Amino acid sequence: MRNKKSEIRNSQSAMIAPDLSVDFAGIKLKNPVLTASGTFGYGEEFADIIDLNRLGGVIVKGISLRPISGNPPPRIWETPSGMLNAIGLENPGVDVFLRDKLTFLRSYDTAVLVNIFGYSLEEYVGVAERLDGIPGVSGLEVNISCPNVKAGGIVFGTNLKAAFELLSAVRKATRLPVIAKLSPNVTDITEFAKVARDAGCDGLSLINTLLGMAIDIRSRKPRLANCTGGLSGPAIRPVAVRMVWQAAQAVDLPVIGMGGIMTYEDALEFILAGASAVAVGTANFINPRATVDIIRDLETFLTQEGIGSVKELVGQVRVK
Amino acid sequence: MPSTKLHQAKVLLHRPAGRGYYRLVLLAPALAAAAAPGHFVMLRVSANLDPLLARPFGISSVISKKSIELYYRVAGRGTTLLTTVEPGQMLDLLGPLGNGFPVPDKAATPLLVAGGSGFPPLLYFAARYGKQARLFVGSRDKDCLPPAAVMKDLRSRTKAVHYATEDGSRGTCGFVTDTLAGYLARSSRGGTPVIYACGPHAMLASVSRLAAEHSIPCYVSMEERMACGLGVCMGCSVSMKAGGYKRVCKEGPVFDAKDIMWSDSMPVRFTR
Repeated sequence: MRNKKSEIRNSQSAMIAPDLSVDFAGIKLKNPVLTASGTFGYGEEFADIIDLNRLGGVIVKGISLRPISGNPPPRIWETPSGMLNAIGLENPGVDVFLRDKLTFLRSYDTAVLVNIFGYSLEEYVGVAERLDGIPGVSGLEVNISCPNVKAGGIVFGTNLKAAFELLSAVRKATRLPVIAKLSPNVTDITEFAKVARDAGCDGLSLINTLLGMAIDIRSRKPRLANCTGGLSGPAIRPVAVRMVWQAAQAVDLPVIGMGGIMTYEDALEFILAGASAVAVGTANFINPRATVDIIRDLETFLTQEGIGSVKELVGQVRVK
Repeated sequence: MPSTKLHQAKVLLHRPAGRGYYRLVLLAPALAAAAAPGHFVMLRVSANLDPLLARPFGISSVISKKSIELYYRVAGRGTTLLTTVEPGQMLDLLGPLGNGFPVPDKAATPLLVAGGSGFPPLLYFAARYGKQARLFVGSRDKDCLPPAAVMKDLRSRTKAVHYATEDGSRGTCGFVTDTLAGYLARSSRGGTPVIYACGPHAMLASVSRLAAEHSIPCYVSMEERMACGLGVCMGCSVSMKAGGYKRVCKEGPVFDAKDIMWSDSMPVRFTR
């Protein structure tokens, strides 16, 4: 009798392969796990380590209209359970991206979301226009939140009016789904979530890094040549989960949640807080297999819990 | 050939090597088979999240084609934690990474310049191509030189060893670059010298200057803070004379010295 029961259970669990797929703002993802921009390059460096076909999607490193060489070194500093970086959005520019990088990524069965930024509204619009209608690009993630470039990025991300104008302009420049990547360096994240919605964005992505600083007490110099940098890693996760929860409550847009995700448990926290998909960032540096490990463990968890689809968990945190 | 492969390496041997250094031998056959002098590995010192990042270590030797040897000195929280690792334990290892030293011409006289704790990649180099090499080794004082066993090995694998200590407790009193300058100034030196250097940034800058003065090819192994070792975090960039930056982990760690934009503001010491 006991044997029979366990047989039934085994056959049931074998039968019910949970559904990991997600429709994110019209983008079909085979699972909800993406790579966070700036932590995965354009995928090439990981191709020898993991099967890129396993990924829900790749959000590539930020692309601008022209190549950018980035900030002087030192660019990174390790902090408790985290790291500060001030890379300065170094990238080869949209032309090289389209010629060399996208061709490579397109050969894999995974969604490609292109993170874009500029130093002016016109530059943002310029990149968006160049990427419109390009086969293999599933959507745009608009970076209005990089803390490490003085002229652009965070200026748009921390001013409601500037954010609205920029996102509206990008929205008009492309037919692709537009996802606004929000800055956590604001008092009320819901105001920016609403601005993104009002500007016609199709989704939100949060959080970018938290502005931070570290000082060498002997030389009395900042640890980073840029003085300040963006904090990432497990240290920021509770802040990120809170902001995803607040943003998901405030607007009816799908959210990509990120900030210090190292394991499937971390990913599930974001999903329960209201994220339809998650992005793995700093973890890629420490464990290049982090994304595929999380996908595997997420599947196991859903199977064990008898949950048919990951979509059933989105926003299901029990607040009361 | 460098390869970004992730390995589970078993700790075969781990003990103090003298003069503040530890010797760590890791079983990683695929990695060992692909390694060459100048390559490095990224090693996670623990599975915990603090410290978070893996640490870069230059390979000092490949043993029996199956294991790699690393020497490190306690210089921060990561290496402090690493000292507690015991034989039999498994560690996450990525590599071999980066571009190694170019193979010297048969007719060349390699001049190896090792400063501070920069000797490991040159130890590997000496084992492969040391026969005609001269080693210039320098440190603050004699207790900061590479471990005695390493020095013995280096002496046996090279043609000559020139010592320099800042306090004069061993060899010439002064910097390693002073001994190198003295040697290069000698008219009798002969041969076709090629410099291979690893050490603190200021030393590499001086070596590079000397090489330029004497029109000698010079290859330097650079160190910079690094998060991934894979070429994606863009954290380990160094300034290039031609403009822009190159990644120590991908285009380096070995660079042609004349391509580097040397600056005085670089950090002298690294914590790891």
